Amino acid sequence: MLAQLVDMSLWESVVRALIPVLLAAIGGLICERAGVFQISLEGMMLAGAFAAVAAAHVTGSALAAAAAAAVAGVLLSLVLAFGAVSRGGNAIVLGVAINILAVGLTSFLLPQLFGVRGSFQPEGGVRILRIAIPGLSDLPFIGPVLFNLSILGYAALLLVPATWLFLFRTQLGLRLRGVGERPLAAETLGVSSTVYRYAAVVASGVLAGLAGAQLALGNVGVFTEGISSGRGWIAVVAVMLGRAHPFGVLAACLLFGFTEAFGFRLQGQGYPVQITDALPFVVTLVALVIARKRFRRLLDLTASTV
Amino acid sequence: MTVALVVAFGLGAVVIALTGGDPLAAFGEMLTGGFTGSGLRNTLSRMIPIVGMALAFSLAFRSGVLNLGGEGQMLMGALFGTMTAIVLPGPGPVVIVAALLVGAAVGALWALLPALGQTKFQVPLLITSLLLNYVARATTSYLVRYPFGEPGAAFASTVAVPESNRIPDFPFLGGGISISLFFVFGLVALLAVVYRRSVFGYETAMLGFSGPFARYGGVDVERKTLLVMASAGAIGGLVGSHLVLGETYRYIDADMIAQTGFAWTGLMVSLLAANRPVAILLAGFFFAGLQIGGFAMERATKVSWQLAEMIQALVIVAVVSRLGLTWRRRRKLGEEVGPPQPEMETAHVGEV
Amino acid sequence: MTTELELRGITKRFPGVLACDGIDLTARRGEIHCIVGENGAGKTTLMSILYGLIPPDEGEILVRGEPVRFHSPLDAIRRGLGMVHQAFKLFPSLTVAENVIFREEPAKLGWIDRKRAVARVQELADAYGLAVDPTAVVEDLPVGVLQRVEILKALYRHASILILDEPTAVLTPQERDRLFDVMRRLRDSGRTILFITHKLAEVMSVADRITVLRNGKAVAELDPATTTPEEISRHMTGRDVEPVRAGAPTALGDVVLSVRSLTVRGAHSLPVVSDVSFDVRAGEVVGIAAVAGNGQTELIEAIAGLREIESGTVTLAGVDITHLDVAGRRRAGMSYIPEDRHRVGTAAAASVSENLLMGYQRTDRMRRGAWLRRRAVADHAGRLKDEFAIKVSGVDVAAGTLSGGNLQKVALAREMAHDAPLIIAEQPTRGVDIGAIEFIHTRLVAARDRGAAILLVSAELSEIQSLATRILVMFEGRIVAELDPDRVDEAEIGLHMTGGKVAGA
Repeated sequence: MLAQLVDMSLWESVVRALIPVLLAAIGGLICERAGVFQISLEGMMLAGAFAAVAAAHVTGSALAAAAAAAVAGVLLSLVLAFGAVSRGGNAIVLGVAINILAVGLTSFLLPQLFGVRGSFQPEGGVRILRIAIPGLSDLPFIGPVLFNLSILGYAALLLVPATWLFLFRTQLGLRLRGVGERPLAAETLGVSSTVYRYAAVVASGVLAGLAGAQLALGNVGVFTEGISSGRGWIAVVAVMLGRAHPFGVLAACLLFGFTEAFGFRLQGQGYPVQITDALPFVVTLVALVIARKRFRRLLDLTASTV
Repeated sequence: MTVALVVAFGLGAVVIALTGGDPLAAFGEMLTGGFTGSGLRNTLSRMIPIVGMALAFSLAFRSGVLNLGGEGQMLMGALFGTMTAIVLPGPGPVVIVAALLVGAAVGALWALLPALGQTKFQVPLLITSLLLNYVARATTSYLVRYPFGEPGAAFASTVAVPESNRIPDFPFLGGGISISLFFVFGLVALLAVVYRRSVFGYETAMLGFSGPFARYGGVDVERKTLLVMASAGAIGGLVGSHLVLGETYRYIDADMIAQTGFAWTGLMVSLLAANRPVAILLAGFFFAGLQIGGFAMERATKVSWQLAEMIQALVIVAVVSRLGLTWRRRRKLGEEVGPPQPEMETAHVGEV
Repeated sequence: MTTELELRGITKRFPGVLACDGIDLTARRGEIHCIVGENGAGKTTLMSILYGLIPPDEGEILVRGEPVRFHSPLDAIRRGLGMVHQAFKLFPSLTVAENVIFREEPAKLGWIDRKRAVARVQELADAYGLAVDPTAVVEDLPVGVLQRVEILKALYRHASILILDEPTAVLTPQERDRLFDVMRRLRDSGRTILFITHKLAEVMSVADRITVLRNGKAVAELDPATTTPEEISRHMTGRDVEPVRAGAPTALGDVVLSVRSLTVRGAHSLPVVSDVSFDVRAGEVVGIAAVAGNGQTELIEAIAGLREIESGTVTLAGVDITHLDVAGRRRAGMSYIPEDRHRVGTAAAASVSENLLMGYQRTDRMRRGAWLRRRAVADHAGRLKDEFAIKVSGVDVAAGTLSGGNLQKVALAREMAHDAPLIIAEQPTRGVDIGAIEFIHTRLVAARDRGAAILLVSAELSEIQSLATRILVMFEGRIVAELDPDRVDEAEIGLHMTGGKVAGA
């Protein structure tokens, strides 16, 4: 039975489930490094998905859809940046309000613009461009899993090492980390924490917006109310589990992607859909509890050898 | 707050205009629909879950505990409260009380999960309480479809609660308003006094102001966290139970998932009211009226009612961004405003 | 010698306070210029203005004869100023080299040249005797080293004027002497050093010139060769100050606090307090002297119930409190003035009255069943406000608006009013003005005289020497010496504090 559940096509769906979460989580980790607790990823993702579908419907262009998604994410991110960075408001409360705002905005606009409720399928069947890399995509196992992705899929995977290089090897990355840790100290040395925090929050807006585009137009090509269905929150957890380190966050996202794909597989085996719905959240919760314990045990073990 | 309201309604008007509507007509319908005539009665009715969830949120939040799990606590309480009312034999009033107690207990237990996660494992409650909402949705949805479901129903739902076990309406006011409203008023009064006058109110307020200070002063932080979360969950469970026993009379899965919005409206009401019970009552009335007015507006002008939800969120964004009044508790300034103090660094912008 | 820096008529007003009142100051190239004054005299405000952190209302600043206007510290840095703040402005998770090069990174096309960064930092460190490993992560380093990193940061930015804000507060006497050597070396290389302090002995040993501030005015410029500590002190306070004499302790009573073989583990599960045993008797003040980070904080937290005890026992007035919670310990007779008065000792957003109530809310005097007695709470707050001369318009004012000294009085008043058998006082006078210091010391001595057992932790050796009946020195989590304050001098205590005299080692 396990062989039926875990095979190559499972890994394909793992990567597919992983990508939107990873995009959003990288945005979240950049914010975390800049010292802004970013919990509005869920709302920005939702707004991005809506904008992508709306733009795809109007223009019929995937590029315009992606651009619209990024813009939607940025607009919401600016609300957070203004409130939390410029006005010193509580970032967590703002994040919650932005998530609610995104739900209200999308469910208001859906009937208002398209005269439908629940879900909307744009005309023209626009999808985010999928590219099979010649040669590589024919490799056994790895090929279909890693080299037959949408453009946003490649972008997400490449962003992991790129973010690492940016944070730990560049001037801007060093300054961003400094701002996140001691904004006043950075300020006295001439690094504006406001600028870096705005930049980080806006970057997360772009990425979470694109994550929404991938969600809506990556495979199916439809917007459903609440389409983000908690993935933005999973991304927040991935940042926590991965301790805001790009590779750690990737690992946490992989865990989520695997769980979601596995859940779908179980559903295919006749298990109720609710198990699929709950599984990623249950696994994430368990991971959070284990992660805490593991850190402590690890510390105890190292302590005895010092 | 005036500024926040102007900004929120202003942006709302812009959105209406951009999508081809008439803002003034829409707002007019919204206000008359929500605060006059039969709309007013619906508004009072809608205050029950909104003010209830707001009180639940305020209990934890004023203690520095950010409980985002209102949804799940409401759903779990509602389902088990409903099942009790359906299966328990006995005289109506007794069954109703028992059902409400079960609903409260289940809501409390559900809220204790993230609370224990925080006190035992140091896993932040903010995130776990939120994640558990999705687990609660799936769990209730499963239960109401399979073991608790009405066999052969077109959509996932329990059977109807026997008539004797339903929460009655007020005999006056022309009907349509559950006596639960009376209990909500009572809860507002109770919490107002508890917050201001009791040892518990004092200790939890200090915990909200500064955790290290409260711990240092001898407040049992872990126990207080568990206590406020359990109380918040219990109120959530009561609200959920009311929604079935006093409103719809059967637990309908899709319907209840839609009603989880009350948890978030309640959260916003509590934020707007700075966690003060009497202010929550007023803000709850206002937000409930906006929503009811929203339905009237949609019928009359084809501007969809979710505009109300949007405006509410904008009000909170504006208030939290300190456009005008701050949402924090305001204090008179002492005259001791002095030269620079050794400044403190914070890791995050605007920590709770 | 040429003039490096000149301040003319610097004036700064805050609501209700004239923090700087027409201050003139001239510092020459290659001199160590001490700026002394009580807390609240305007030192910090003046330096903040000089460093571009806040703009002056009036007056001008001239650097090497040229009038300048600083809108931010960056402007000041560009003009060759460097500042070592009292609270270090370092990034804990970054390395020493990353901290030093921050914002001025050697780089190609945005990529940091890490080899060059490390080499450059090493070079600077060697040149001025600032021993430090450029690749070490800052959060793992002791305070003395952090200060060197701060100095390196300024030197890396080509500072010709270096402002040191109370740099010795966190150092042992030995570390302090090393710092003075570095300062002299920097002076001899032609730099100007503004050294802010209120310790007169240091002024006398290192200054080339002294400016005294009082109530926002520069009241005197003195030459250390021709002045005396007494004269400086008179200028600082405008009167003669008698240090609080502890006076002869009354007869010692019973053991109040007894700590036996106490071991506490820290963040990395390493023992931060190892096998510590001592007693405090009624009517005595036991002082704990230690360099920051040697376990004294954890020891106090463990006694106070804020940190888990690994092994050992703590007994208070005959009751084993090892496994009691904070409330239980307080009932057993503990009161505690904590080091961090902003976060632990008070709640800024709560009112003064609410702050004063903490710890009393469950006493029968303050409550009837579940409810607070509102009249009793108000009386309690009003009484303490008067008795401890807390300067505030009313007890409903938020505590966060109070000045440091007043805030400390809130914590002090609350804890002293318990009349508890044990008082733990942790850095009770840090950052408060001389008037408040006198007040706090008098109160502690009075408590001792009525028979309280006092456990005092202080970074100010002079405070420990003048108040303590016995001194316990902690080093690396252990008590390494018990000293009689009348028979040792600062140097000897300092030697113990740095592990120089570990018994049997």
